[in-house]
Amino acid sequence: MAAPVPWACCAVLAAAAAVVYAQRHSPQETPHVQYERLGSDVTLPCGTASWDAAVTWRVNGTDLAPDLLNGSQLVLRSLELGHGGLYACFHRDSWHLRHQVLLHVGLPPREPVLSCRSNTYPKGFYCSWHLPTPTYIPNTFNVTVLHGSKIMVCEKDPAVKNRCHIRYMHLFSTVKYKVSISVSNALGHNATAITFDEFTIVKPDPPENVVARPVPSNPRRLEVTWQTPSTWPDPESFPLKFFLRYRPLILDQWQHVELSDGTAHTITDAYAGKEYIIQVAAKDNEIGTWSDWSVAAHATPWTEEPRHLTTEAQAPETTTSTTSSLAPPPTTKICDPGELGSGGATSAPSFVSVPVTLALAAAATTASSLLI
Amino acid sequence: GDSWGMLACLCTVLWQLPAVPALNRTGDPGPGPSIQKTYDLTRYLEHQLRSLAGTYLNYLGPPFNEPDFNPPRLGVETLPKATVNLEVWRSLNDKLRLTQNYEAYSHLLCYLRGLNRQAATAELRRSLAHFCTSLQGLLGSIAGVMAALGYPLPQPLPGTEPTWAPGPAHSDFLQKMDDFWLLKELQTWLWRSAKDFNRLKKKMQPPATAVTLHLEARGF
Repeated sequence: MAAPVPWACCAVLAAAAAVVYAQRHSPQETPHVQYERLGSDVTLPCGTASWDAAVTWRVNGTDLAPDLLNGSQLVLRSLELGHGGLYACFHRDSWHLRHQVLLHVGLPPREPVLSCRSNTYPKGFYCSWHLPTPTYIPNTFNVTVLHGSKIMVCEKDPAVKNRCHIRYMHLFSTVKYKVSISVSNALGHNATAITFDEFTIVKPDPPENVVARPVPSNPRRLEVTWQTPSTWPDPESFPLKFFLRYRPLILDQWQHVELSDGTAHTITDAYAGKEYIIQVAAKDNEIGTWSDWSVAAHATPWTEEPRHLTTEAQAPETTTSTTSSLAPPPTTKICDPGELGSGGATSAPSFVSVPVTLALAAAATTASSLLI
Repeated sequence: GDSWGMLACLCTVLWQLPAVPALNRTGDPGPGPSIQKTYDLTRYLEHQLRSLAGTYLNYLGPPFNEPDFNPPRLGVETLPKATVNLEVWRSLNDKLRLTQNYEAYSHLLCYLRGLNRQAATAELRRSLAHFCTSLQGLLGSIAGVMAALGYPLPQPLPGTEPTWAPGPAHSDFLQKMDDFWLLKELQTWLWRSAKDFNRLKKKMQPPATAVTLHLEARGF
């Protein structure tokens, strides 16, 4: 009769309160993840709410102005990267969370750039890739390597991203290799492929540990030594030849020497007392291309008065009575302290050791070339 | 399709190469210099082949002269293939290494002579003839190394036809494919031989003296 009604009422109220409580405080439903293209317009519906439902939208916890709404839907125009974030819509009065969208703004991938190289011939080669422009969203790459009709395995590099390694099974093959890569993300897909012969991609790493030393009692000599790159697996059967270039810091023109054997060379025509920069490159004797230039070595030939370090300013030109003859500095000097030290590709600190007048001459030529 | 190369190509001239007399052992420098000479010849031939192949492929026309041309190797030609498993190549003994080179170039030279017979222009025939002569020189050089090391020259199998004969006629395109593969295989063999003779050189003689070319050039 009347007595059970209040109890039933309380039970229903309690249940309703529990449901409301659960809805307000339940673990967030997994937000719907959505990818949209940069510059496009997107309309986010508030889940299953009707168009005329009264809702409030928030992004990353900040309220959004109602003028962005079209009914209960959020309209975002000309998407920028900053538009990405966690969007949530709430029932306006009850603040009940109705829907969440994790929005990512990005681009479909452009055609990837793919290149392959063998610096470990004859063991194998590796391929590297990258996208010319960022997509701002995650991309997955898929690489396939075909040798004729045979599929080869490309093992991902454990350390370097976007690189994988292939091992040669056969040498001296007339059949080309074809490496294809496809890239895809939530907004699109792209692909490219390259084909090449075994020999054309051979390019060793630069020689290592290039050291240049003065030769005692020889003011015009420098002794240069280096090592074959440690990545080249078999220098005995696949010997490398070397290309050495050197110049005094104060001149632009390089001297070149090609060496078919050995890892040492003595320069015999160095200008006395001038600091030199020396680099070495390597190439397989018969196939492939030259390596990049090695890390530069610096050295100054032996001079009569013993000097400890080459970084001290040297005595003026008049004291050196050797046969070194350099062009006299130009008569018009640009005496701008700001220009000094803005020298060319060589390392800046070594500039200090050059006599002041010649530094100005070099600075003048640098300055004039910068003005072009 | 049936190619003229299906029949084993054995030229009488080659197999009757005069036996190279054994070098006088007393005071001779050993096989070292002739290995070096053979190596140098492979480099010279590789260089010569580059221009010859360019001209010939242009004569064949597209798609043979396109750099991206990448046809499947049908394997119907009986060309000697340079390709070899890496470990097998490494572990070849000297005799086998030299024999494989000798046999390969013997066959390749024979095929090239066949090419020469069909070449359309006089200029092509001249270039091919010149190349054949150089290739003959390489064969002689290899034979010399083998003789110096006491290895016998490979002999033709008994019962095979000693003269070259054209196979049944087949399509123009397939003929050109054969020509394409011949030139490709020849180029690859020359690269391989350079490596083969490098290996032999390292085993036989003291380190070669450094060759220094002094070049003054702006940039590199």
